[in-house]
Formats: sequence, C-alpha cells, structure tokens
Amino acid sequence: MLQVNNLVKRFGGIIAVNDVSMKIGRGEVVGLIGPNGSGKTTLINLISGFYKPDGGRIVFEGVDVTKKDPNERVKLGIARTFQIPRLISNMTALQNVTYAVIGSRRFREKKMTLAEAAMEALYYLDIVGLLRKRDVLCRDLALYELRLLELARALATNPKLMMVDEVMAGLNPVEADNVAKLVQRLREEFKLTIVWVEHVLRIIMRSVERVLVMNEGKLIADGTPHEVSKDIMVIKAYMGEEVMV
Amino acid sequence: MVIKIEPRRGRLIIHVLNKWRLEWTVEPRYWRNPLIATILWICLPLLIPFMPRGLPIGPTSLLSSLFMANVVAISAIAHSLQTIGTGRLNFGPHFFVVVGGYAAALLNKNFGLSPALTFLAAFAVTALVGLALSPLTIISRGIYFTLITMILPLILYELVFWRVDIFGAETGIPGISRLVSTGNVMNDYIACFYISLAIALALLVIVDKILRSRWGFMFGVINEDEDVAASFGIETKKIKSIVFTLTCGVMGISGWLIAHYYGSFAGTMWLEPWLLIFILLSGVLGGKAAIYGAALGSYFVVLTRDLLRPFVGGLALLALYAVLLAALYLLPEGLWGLYRKTRYREYVPTIRVRRKT
Repeated sequence: MLQVNNLVKRFGGIIAVNDVSMKIGRGEVVGLIGPNGSGKTTLINLISGFYKPDGGRIVFEGVDVTKKDPNERVKLGIARTFQIPRLISNMTALQNVTYAVIGSRRFREKKMTLAEAAMEALYYLDIVGLLRKRDVLCRDLALYELRLLELARALATNPKLMMVDEVMAGLNPVEADNVAKLVQRLREEFKLTIVWVEHVLRIIMRSVERVLVMNEGKLIADGTPHEVSKDIMVIKAYMGEEVMV
Repeated sequence: MVIKIEPRRGRLIIHVLNKWRLEWTVEPRYWRNPLIATILWICLPLLIPFMPRGLPIGPTSLLSSLFMANVVAISAIAHSLQTIGTGRLNFGPHFFVVVGGYAAALLNKNFGLSPALTFLAAFAVTALVGLALSPLTIISRGIYFTLITMILPLILYELVFWRVDIFGAETGIPGISRLVSTGNVMNDYIACFYISLAIALALLVIVDKILRSRWGFMFGVINEDEDVAASFGIETKKIKSIVFTLTCGVMGISGWLIAHYYGSFAGTMWLEPWLLIFILLSGVLGGKAAIYGAALGSYFVVLTRDLLRPFVGGLALLALYAVLLAALYLLPEGLWGLYRKTRYREYVPTIRVRRKT
C-alpha cells in the first residue's frame, strides 16, 4: 500500500530523516517508535505532505505522491492526526468534523450538501463516543476528548491509511487504554491500515503486529514487537551504551 | 382598511389589503435585525430634509459623506472577506481601488464606454491584476505578504508620475462621464448614494451567503489554521487564489464609483495612506473582519472625519485618528463585537491574528 524509498529530509545541517525506506501492506497496523528527536513525526509529515522531502520517493497505492500537496494526498486516502491536537477552537466538535467531510473526495463525488456533510460528521462523532459533545466548542473540550475528536476528524476524510501521531500523550492509563481499543476497533470496522507513532511502549507493543524503530533519522529495526524488543540496536537507542563503572 | 394590526400573544400580525400577512415577534431577541438595519440604511437620506438649519454640515456634504462611506464599505467588506479567505492581511487595498478607478476612467474617456460597461471593465481589470498577484497568497504569509502588498501602491504611485501622458499624475484624468446627471444636484447626490448603497448591500448579501455556505466554512478553516485545512483535504491554494482575485475585483468597483462620481480621477490622491487606513480601520473597528462590522465601521470612520471637519478644520484627520485610537482602545472587539457578545456561540469566520510568519 505505502512504499517509501530512500527518503531524506534536512533542516539546515540536521538530517531529520536519513535515507529511510519501508513498505507497509494493506490492513497492517505498524508501530513507529524511537527516542525523542529520532524523526518519527518528520517522517509522518513527509508522508502526509506537510514537508517536501529533499530526496527519495513516496508511493501510495501505485501513485507517486512525493510532490503532491497534503489536500491531494487526503483525497487519495492518507489521513493523519497531530501530536498536539490541532482543532479549530472557535468551532464546535461537529463543525470540526464537518469540514473534514467537506474536504473528502466523497463530498464532491456524492455532491453532498452542507447539511448532509454535518449528518455524516455526526456518524463519526458517534463512533468515537463524542456525539453528546457535538455542540461543545473545541476550546471547552478536555484533552482526551480532543484526541477522540482528532480521530473522528481523520476518519471523516474516508482514509485508507491513517497515521496516528502520539495519540496517548497526556492521557491517563485508563484513557490511553480506551484510545488503544478505539484505534483497534476503527481498523477492523473501516479496514484501515494504521501507522501508529507512540511513546507509550506498553500499549504499542501489544497493539501492533509490526514495529519500526527510528533513531537519529534512520530506521534501525523492523520486526514483530517481540523481535524488536530484543534488538541490541533498539536497546542501545533507548538505554544508551553500557557503561562500566 | 389598508393595514390592519392584530395583536396576539407575543407577536403582531399585520394584514395588508387583506391579501398579505406579516408576523412580527414583539420580543426584541427574535427581531430580524439585519432587516431592520437594511431598512434604516435605505431610509438614511430621507432624514436629510429634516436636518435642523444652522448645522455646520450641509445636506449635499452629508450625502457626499454617506456616498464615501459606502465606497469605503465596499472595499472594507471585500478586504474582510479576503482576509478571512486567504488568512493574510493585505496592506494594499487602495492599490486595487485605484486600478479600478483608472480602468474606468481610461476606458470611459478614451473609448467612450458607458458607466455600465466600465463597471464590468473595472471589475474585470482589477480581478485580472488580482489573479496575476494571487500567487503571493501561496508563496508568502504573515509579515512578508503584508510588506509585499504595501509596496504595490508605491509602485503604482511612481508609475502614475512616470506616464503622465496616460495617468495625468496629480491632475488626474478629467472629463469622465458622471454616474448620474439629472440636472438637479441634490437628486444626483441621492441617486449616487443609492447606487453605491445597492452595490454595498448586494455585496453584503452575497458575502453573507458565501460565509454561511460550505465555502465560508472552508474560508474560516483556512483563516484559523491553513496547514490543518490542507491536511484535511481542503484545496487551500485554489480557494486562496479565487478569493484574492474576486475580492480585488470588488475593490476595483470602489474605484469605479469614485471615478464616475467626481467626473475625474487622480489616482495619486487615493494612493495616499489615509484610504488604506480608512479601509483597515473600518474592518478592525467594525469588529475584526466581521462583514457587517466592516460596513458599520466605514460609516463610523467616514462620518467621524466629515462631522469633525467643520469644528477642527484642517486638523480633521488628526482629530479622527485620535477618536479612532480611543475607539480601538475602548472597543477591542469592535462595534460589531458589542452586538455579537449576545450571540457569542454562533460561529462566523473572522480574522485570527497569526504569530508565525
């Protein structure tokens, strides 16, 4: 489904993503982990079109999307959530999801009206459990609800590939478990392929089938959670070199 | 009986000629305020014959001020929509006003086009200039966009002096057909006021419809967070270019009104910063790009200047700026904000100040 070849992104002298290549198959749930500053979010930004790469190619379902704008990628079926929820604070939860429906390819194909888009947005709000909060302004929502709203909004674009960027950040263990279950349910119900960037290893290791590990812009491991947890490179990346005293 | 009023609980039913039935809710919070405001706006010149004698401002001067308020309102409404739809603050709206004015003046004088045709031409020419400049909305943002648009009037200013043979420099282009010429000065003033009012009202209705449609929704999202809008499938580049082009065209209509109202057009006068300040302040004082606020703000700005003039003479602009500074300080939400406070939960796209460039 998604193929990334030799992707490079530089910010001045810093190479944030260094020659990364990977393949993600349809229906997979792939965890993307790594220490802070390892390039995970930059990679997500490159795949979603927020950043333009300095080298390499991104192919999604046989289409080269390397030079496409984010809105074009969304129409092809690439959706994402943000590490810090980026919602329109002056709009209600319903309005925030409605504009994602308006931006989707389906909106134009079905020649939907604004009211129909809002009806569809209600459906997505219901799925994530925010139907009762539909008329609450985003600035009045709690962090947990904002995370759910981000998921609803990403879902409303009718994605095939959903990239979830640190959806657990700032949540308590119960909320984090709920979100993890929701992501799994969305994957099954909507037949999604998911790339899941996460710091909470406890949850990611039991929720995904495959884990990619990044460190200093490079992909250092690719395997099942069990394999990756034993990988010496991964242990070094997280724990550092062994120091003899 | 021609009109029969039937009081009911909480409302009045008005029967006209036993044919039409109008219902009016008595409680003010259910009043149709836009309708009331429009009626008051239309009736404004009717109050002029009742002006007490001995006022320092005459009826024709007042009508001229009302006309100018409409001209500024047209540009301010277009500027507000542009700011919402592109997420960028244009500091050169007077450039587009002058482009429209010159297009109307030159086509009328040199090719004999009627005001009706120059109306279309002024819109088209300014929109084309806007289209040529629309890539600016894609390649620049924040202070860079503002600076670039601020330079546009300066370039045109130099161009006007360079090609005196075409633009007439400070003298301008005289001999342009009048918008209305009935032979009666008062009637001409009133007709001009109503033409400008019709354009301003039509623009207000169209912009209101746009802002309440899915397009307005998308404009609002672009204004609030352009990156997020793009990442959720909204075609930001296309929308910004279209909004910029069309709103520039509308600003050109202000220039068309000025050229045909005065019968001559000297762009150098309108390229001066005061017109920019009037347009910007109308939007900000009105209420941060709320389109109704822009109309309200333009009346406040223009009438304050013209009503101060008899009292302070040449210091009118200075006095105006002092009043405007005080108003900006005392009314941070603008004039429209006072009204909006009662309906704060409705979402209407407005300007959000951007900090990143």
